[in-house]
Amino acid sequence: MSDWTKERRREDHSIEHEKSFGPSRWSHCRKRGVNGSLRSNSEADDIDKRRNGHADSSYKHPDRRHASFTTPESTGPVSRCGQQADWGSQVEDDEMRRDVHRDMQRYRRRILGAEFTQRERRASSGSSGSCDSREGDNLETDEAVLLRRQKQINYGKNTLAYDRYIKEVPKHMRQPGVHPKTPNKFRKYSRRSWDQQIKLWKVKLHAWDPPAEEGQDKTLDVVEELNLDDVMDIELDFPTITDSQNSQTSLPIHSLSVEGKQPGCPMGRNTG
Amino acid sequence: MENSAEDYRIQSFDLDTQRLLKTALKDPSLVNLEKVSNIIVDQSLKDTVFSKEAGRICYTIVQAEAKQNNGNVFRRHLLNRLQQEFKEREEMRARSLQEWMCYVTFICNIFDYLKVNNMPMVALVHPVYDCLMRLAKPDALMNEDEVDCLVVQLHRIGEQLEKADSQRMNDLFFLLRDGFLLQESLTSMARLLLLEILEFRAGGWMLSSTAHKYYYSEIAD
Repeated sequence: MSDWTKERRREDHSIEHEKSFGPSRWSHCRKRGVNGSLRSNSEADDIDKRRNGHADSSYKHPDRRHASFTTPESTGPVSRCGQQADWGSQVEDDEMRRDVHRDMQRYRRRILGAEFTQRERRASSGSSGSCDSREGDNLETDEAVLLRRQKQINYGKNTLAYDRYIKEVPKHMRQPGVHPKTPNKFRKYSRRSWDQQIKLWKVKLHAWDPPAEEGQDKTLDVVEELNLDDVMDIELDFPTITDSQNSQTSLPIHSLSVEGKQPGCPMGRNTG
Repeated sequence: MENSAEDYRIQSFDLDTQRLLKTALKDPSLVNLEKVSNIIVDQSLKDTVFSKEAGRICYTIVQAEAKQNNGNVFRRHLLNRLQQEFKEREEMRARSLQEWMCYVTFICNIFDYLKVNNMPMVALVHPVYDCLMRLAKPDALMNEDEVDCLVVQLHRIGEQLEKADSQRMNDLFFLLRDGFLLQESLTSMARLLLLEILEFRAGGWMLSSTAHKYYYSEIAD
């Protein structure tokens, strides 16, 4: 783990330890600080000052962190604002953070390896590379973003459907477009693009739901989840499969009893 | 390899509970893990022997659950229960020194055993230090038992703790030096324990062989 994350975590803890207010951008909504004690108004003012002053690079948070520290992209309003105070969640978050860092190392190694072989091949055959060789420029490294994406992926993987899917279809049998593929959290995507990929991925996974209630309910869920308006706005870099295979994504048959619209089609047509 | 009941020191539980724990070790999805975590914590607070070893059974259940369904329900309940007790440790200490020392022993044992990706759980570092600092306060140093508890924990996890946060270890040892030098109410046993831990840390968390001889060999009377 890098030094700066250790440092930051220590500061996080020293905040809890010293009974000062939490560092999140949502702190000003909170009546109580991280340790449960009621916050005075002056604390709230400090938070406001910090929020308003984050554009001012010279403003420093009372415990010496730069003001911009408090404004990483967040997941939006959360029920327990900012840092989770309970140890269970802290350890889970810590674990996820480490897993993400470890994944990043592995991914980087894989990319570097691919880039190297691509360069060799290109040098000898004169062809231009694709896929992984350009991944290096396209790497998402923002920890907050990676953690959020990992959480979203975890929600999808933590389902019976996913369990059944991976048991039924081993990786080498997967057909692009037909079988759901986990979105690549290390690629740069816009927030909307990513969220849409996740949505569609989870919808596809529904095909492997355990056979409980069939029929209309399921269909409606699928349609709601899709929010078809958004589908029409999808940016072209969305598909996780290679560009040459942007064939229409087929959705599980039993959930396509809706008249007319085949949710997978618009995208296929757009990028075809 | 089957781990018998003795390995996890669960003989002190009644037979039904033993059966429950054994199932939790093998097949966590079959049991109510919140209940199991409470049983373990409750016993650790009562039973000094168990509090020293409960880390192992917790570790095994955590691993079993992770392997079985990637879950961490048990760990979450365990940690949150620990946190609850931590928040009220001062009251606990006032109510029962025995329970307090069992708690410290237990949380240090958990810190030792429950690692995340082979690293100690960061969330526990400060709470553990808080407990040890409490034991280093003058009123606690007066009790030989609390001093003994303190040095035992430092022997077991001191090195790891220092690696996780060296500044706080420095702070702790400031208190220990002060206590050793200035506190008059200390028993000679307490002083011996403190001197030993001071040397132990100074030696890089181990004693030289001569020091070891001084503190640990039987003196023929």
